[in-house]
Amino acid sequence: MRTFAYSRADSVDHAAHRTMPDTAFVAGGTTLLDLIKLDVLKPENVVDINALPLKRVERLNDGRLKIGALVTNTDLAHHPEVKSHYPVLSEALLAGASTQLRNMATTAGNVMQRTRCPYYRDPAAKCNRREPGSGCDAMDGINRMHAVLGGSDACIAVHPSDMCVGIAAIGATLTLQGPDGEREVDFADFHRLPGDTPHIEHDLADGELITAITLDAPLENAGSHYLKLRDRASYEFALASCAAQLVLDGDTIREARLALGGVATKPWRCSDAEAALVGQTADKTSFERAADIALKDAQAREHNGYKIPLARQAIVRALRNAARGDKPASETQESQA
Amino acid sequence: MDDSVHSRPRVPETLGTQTLNFTLNGEPRTLEVAPNAVLLDVLREQLGLGGTKKGCDHGQCGACTVHVDGQAMNSCLRLAVMCEGQQVTTVEGLARDGELHPVQQNFLECDAYQCGYCTPGQMMSATALLNDERIGTDDASVKEAMSGNICRCGAYKNIVEAIQRSRAQLGYDATRKEGAA
Amino acid sequence: MNDMTRPDFDKPRVVGQRTPRIDGEFKLTGRAGYTGELHVDGMLYGYPVPATIANGVLESLDLDAARAMPGVVDIFHHGHFEALHRSPNSMAHGDMVNEVRLPFEDERIYYHGQYVALVVAETFEQARAAAQRVVARYREERGAVVSLLQTEAEGTLQESAGSTRGDPEAAFGGAEVKVDSTYHIAAESHLQMEMHATLAEWRDAGKRLVVHESTQGVFFQRNAMARVFGLAQENLEVISHYIGSGFGNKLFMWPHSVATAVAARMIGRPVKVVLPRQQDMTSGGNRPASRQRIRLGADRSGKLTSVIHDSTTETSLVHQYVDTCGSATPSFYACDNVSTSQRVLEVNHGTPCPMRAPGEVSGIFALETAMDELAVALEMDPVELRLKNNAEQDPASGLPWSSKHLDECLTSAAKRFGWEQRNPAIGSMRDGDEIIGYGMASCTWSAGRQPCEARVELRADGSLFAACGTQDIGTGTYTIVAQAVAELTGAELSRIEVKLGETSLPAGPLSGGSMATATVLPAVAAAARDALDAIKEVAVGSGGAFEGSDPDSLAAQAGGLTDGERRVSFEEILETSKLSSVNGQGSAAPGDERSEYAFRSFGAHFVEVRIDPEISRVRVTRVVSSIDIGRAINPPTARNQVEGGIVMGVGMGLLEKLDYDPRDARLINANVADYIVPTHADAPEIDVELLDYPDFKHNEFGGRGVGEIGLTGVASAIANAIYHATGKRHRDLPITIEALLASS
Ligand SMILES: Cc1cc2nc3c(=O)[nH]c(=O)nc-3n(C[C@H](O)[C@H](O)[C@H](O)COP(=O)(O)OP(=O)(O)OC[C@H]3O[C@@H](n4cnc5c(N)ncnc54)[C@H](O)[C@@H]3O)c2cc1C
Ligand code: SF4
Ligand code: FES
Ligand code: FES
Repeated sequence: MRTFAYSRADSVDHAAHRTMPDTAFVAGGTTLLDLIKLDVLKPENVVDINALPLKRVERLNDGRLKIGALVTNTDLAHHPEVKSHYPVLSEALLAGASTQLRNMATTAGNVMQRTRCPYYRDPAAKCNRREPGSGCDAMDGINRMHAVLGGSDACIAVHPSDMCVGIAAIGATLTLQGPDGEREVDFADFHRLPGDTPHIEHDLADGELITAITLDAPLENAGSHYLKLRDRASYEFALASCAAQLVLDGDTIREARLALGGVATKPWRCSDAEAALVGQTADKTSFERAADIALKDAQAREHNGYKIPLARQAIVRALRNAARGDKPASETQESQA
Repeated sequence: MDDSVHSRPRVPETLGTQTLNFTLNGEPRTLEVAPNAVLLDVLREQLGLGGTKKGCDHGQCGACTVHVDGQAMNSCLRLAVMCEGQQVTTVEGLARDGELHPVQQNFLECDAYQCGYCTPGQMMSATALLNDERIGTDDASVKEAMSGNICRCGAYKNIVEAIQRSRAQLGYDATRKEGAA
Repeated sequence: MNDMTRPDFDKPRVVGQRTPRIDGEFKLTGRAGYTGELHVDGMLYGYPVPATIANGVLESLDLDAARAMPGVVDIFHHGHFEALHRSPNSMAHGDMVNEVRLPFEDERIYYHGQYVALVVAETFEQARAAAQRVVARYREERGAVVSLLQTEAEGTLQESAGSTRGDPEAAFGGAEVKVDSTYHIAAESHLQMEMHATLAEWRDAGKRLVVHESTQGVFFQRNAMARVFGLAQENLEVISHYIGSGFGNKLFMWPHSVATAVAARMIGRPVKVVLPRQQDMTSGGNRPASRQRIRLGADRSGKLTSVIHDSTTETSLVHQYVDTCGSATPSFYACDNVSTSQRVLEVNHGTPCPMRAPGEVSGIFALETAMDELAVALEMDPVELRLKNNAEQDPASGLPWSSKHLDECLTSAAKRFGWEQRNPAIGSMRDGDEIIGYGMASCTWSAGRQPCEARVELRADGSLFAACGTQDIGTGTYTIVAQAVAELTGAELSRIEVKLGETSLPAGPLSGGSMATATVLPAVAAAARDALDAIKEVAVGSGGAFEGSDPDSLAAQAGGLTDGERRVSFEEILETSKLSSVNGQGSAAPGDERSEYAFRSFGAHFVEVRIDPEISRVRVTRVVSSIDIGRAINPPTARNQVEGGIVMGVGMGLLEKLDYDPRDARLINANVADYIVPTHADAPEIDVELLDYPDFKHNEFGGRGVGEIGLTGVASAIANAIYHATGKRHRDLPITIEALLASS
């Protein structure tokens, strides 16, 4: 693993002013060190931000929940505010990675985690995301794990986060602190589609620091479910996952929130499908129709075609369970710990 | 069967090193470490604490699990310098005064291992889990929470049994909690 | 001959009893030294540079940047390496290797991950950093053979690996009921938790080589290294005290060991190399992919009339490895007309090697799935079909079995599983969203035995010492050796020290093939008896504790000798005669019994799967097994082996697959996240029964081995259970979500 200079940031301002080139912040380190070891990320400077006062979770007066960038995935998943008002996020967090990794991983680090595309992770392979213009070995290679939504001719890599799928189905704002001050970005706009520039992964300028993520006020009286489908029962990234929230009035859907993971190049909010659900009876027919709408633009390559029916299944089941407000033990066990 | 070759690890000569002050298995330590040295490698190569294992070096197996301030973490994905001021506990710190920790004793009695290579990591996760009231106590919750520790020998059944036995014996003593947790 | 020192092996005191591992405390406290964590003075770290292509030529290596990195001592490669010789690679002569090609032997690249250089530096960090700065330029060639699974190529027939009895083709042609199916199994990784590791140190001015290696065979490695380096075997020592398992890929030497020893010699300092996981997976062995066609013929009553089993497996371009799939088939069922054939196909992969139940586990998947298909065709219960074709003697050799209780395994496991509650109609058993499937398969593994030597000392400090140059790879060999010594001497287990894993010890066997128990214990027993003879001689001698007695009148009791009236401890006897210790040597080898009986273990697995078809999820929820391995010397560790085999079988059935890029044969999932094995959450509820029928024809302890059998049959039982739930026959492993979706 290459050498780099290491320093600790003692204030947010200080951190955000580290505009030295090739600087990477390290929070939990579970993405950064993994990728430095693989020689995929090559920072010259690593700035440890763990001493920054960004570990609070606070309920704002407008009902929103502000989460400090350094709150760990474990602490967030078990936070009473999250468990009672955003269970879909708690479930999504606990479906991710492992106990140890969640203890290390932070909220901002999770948002910033990189794709697990095997060609991205192998410096000997061609990858537009890692090395702009070099080509994409996944396109005609082993692309079983790759995206069916949001891909381009340049890149079809999945954004692998579970947490972000939960957040996408809730809605949120990111607070960024840069050398020129603070700004806010809608979570839905933060991750970029690959388009022609897959190496530009998100809306974060050099030296800019994520300080907080503020969740939209919770949907009142919603039922919800995060369902993660994968080969083995735990400790694996999603092949397809779905975060669903439904507010019902009797059998009629009043509000719906739907997001997909494991199948798209960014945390994938399904707004059209949500709109199609509102006013419908909560039943298999409307769920299947929503799934069809959510997946109508899905495009498969050689090995990932199965993800389209699989995502459809994830949507229908997650919606059903959200509508029921209960979950069969076998499903919660695997996707919610 | 104790290994005599286990001798005299050296402090590596690197271009630049940084001073690290932390507490290791209850003892304050000061070390010079390379900025890019990973906690796992510092434990194994620089400090000669080989109990913490390397199975993948990428957070994918759990063999390297240690406690940092009482929480289970993968030491292969943590820079040593990030542990400044922290309490690190490794498998070498589980037994006290020559007496096996109840989890170790139950691993012995339940035959909760075969080759023993994943075992330190399993036990570090197990001890953290038993101290964490946020994790359910039923077998299914324990299995899910332990799933970050791969055992290729497949001793999973006995590992869960050893954990549940440790829980049941309230010889499991909450004051053993180390670190801040 | 006086028989008083012979333990009563019908009612043993320690053997067969639950005995916590004597090496347990070392493993549990972190004090057990596995190769990768050993240190010697002046030690350097090596980090291999792997080829990034699978087929072509290494045109140049640019080492300037790497050489300029801090701490780099030397970089070895084709142009900078010692001239060496290959090992003869003979099983019979104990110098077999896993890859005959030496490291850096030529500049051709035969597989992804092949070493092109070895960087040696002062620290691990420096070696890895510099290895990443080595720039290799290749001329890649098209036409890499990616996998057996992606070609129609047939491969080369291996005459010696096949067999025929009767006229199977004609019998199949005329059979009333037939099955003719083809099965594919993806290449698998051993994924033993401890990567391959070597620490090489030259002593006595380069005349003596001491190698610490994570190996399942210290003697094989010593012999092979002696051939490669042209050294007298006596000047080589290979040591392996703790092994983070191997599952077969640590049986024989790999090129990294040679490269490490060369680096240590050329630099003049000890060098340690721990393969990074990716290289361990590309270049440290795999189970080759297989393609198998099975034809079964039967009459209406279910009696088998023909079994034809044709297999092809992969090998690499640098080493011929034959993974004989059909080796259990001729002995499996009573049938007059049976043939097996084996082919191998060269592919651009790292060399495959034995992996737990090599060959047979693949073969039994195919055979036992075909048997399930036959049961369906016959509308017959699959357990009944197996009972009906149970072979009362070994149909391959015509010899009687030393001991066989497959029928009891089948009925006992069926009962504990609740097989009678199985509704045979497809998809008929439901629970909420889930369909429950029940499936079963038989399992088997041959019971071999090798020659072995051992040594036992009785010491004046009251301790006992036993030594044998075999290894404990996690199966519990340390403990069963101590049990055997305790049984014969009556001494407390806590007083017995066991040393294994060194070539300075009496020659012991490979830890493989489930042979170690039956091979090592008789030699240890012989050595213990010899030690008892020695101490009796002392005791009856002048000034001895039993001066003047007839040695035959003395017997071992509780760590001492007794004449029936008086017991004197070993330590007292030795002290009385002013001795520090007595030594016993022993050896044992299989004998005439091998031509009088056939030796094989059998068992049965019953599996429950739960399938949620609307989310394409299958989980193995329950496995009930009954296995007959003769006597289990240490029942918990033996059961643990079977349970571990079952977990690995879940991986083989549903998860595991090495993914080679179809364009260039690069292995793209060489890591522990993308090559998926079962986690805690995937482990089913497991209930293993070990039948207790000591097999004294095999050896005096009555134990046959247990390392491999538990894995065999599991994947088939899973596939058969999935068929019961869904009506879809899966003949390819692993059974993925894609395959489930395609069938719904
Ligand atoms: C084996 C394995 C399995 C995993 N499985 C899953 C899974 O199933 N589901 C899942 O969702 N995730 C999974 N993960 C990914 C894991 O969740 C992420 O690695 C983790 O969330 C990253 O957080 P971190 O704090 O460790 O980030 P770091 O590694 O510290 O940082 C990651 C990136 O974010 C940047 N960064 C960190 N903090 C900030 C900040 N405040 N402002 C700006 N930039 C910042 C860093 O510079 C770096 O580029 C897995 C990881 C591993 C290794
Ligand atoms: S899919 Fe994207 S990340 Fe993967 S190789 Fe192609 S460009 Fe790179
Ligand atoms: S070595 Fe750290 S998780 Fe495998
Ligand atoms: S005991 Fe060998 S890997 Fe767990």
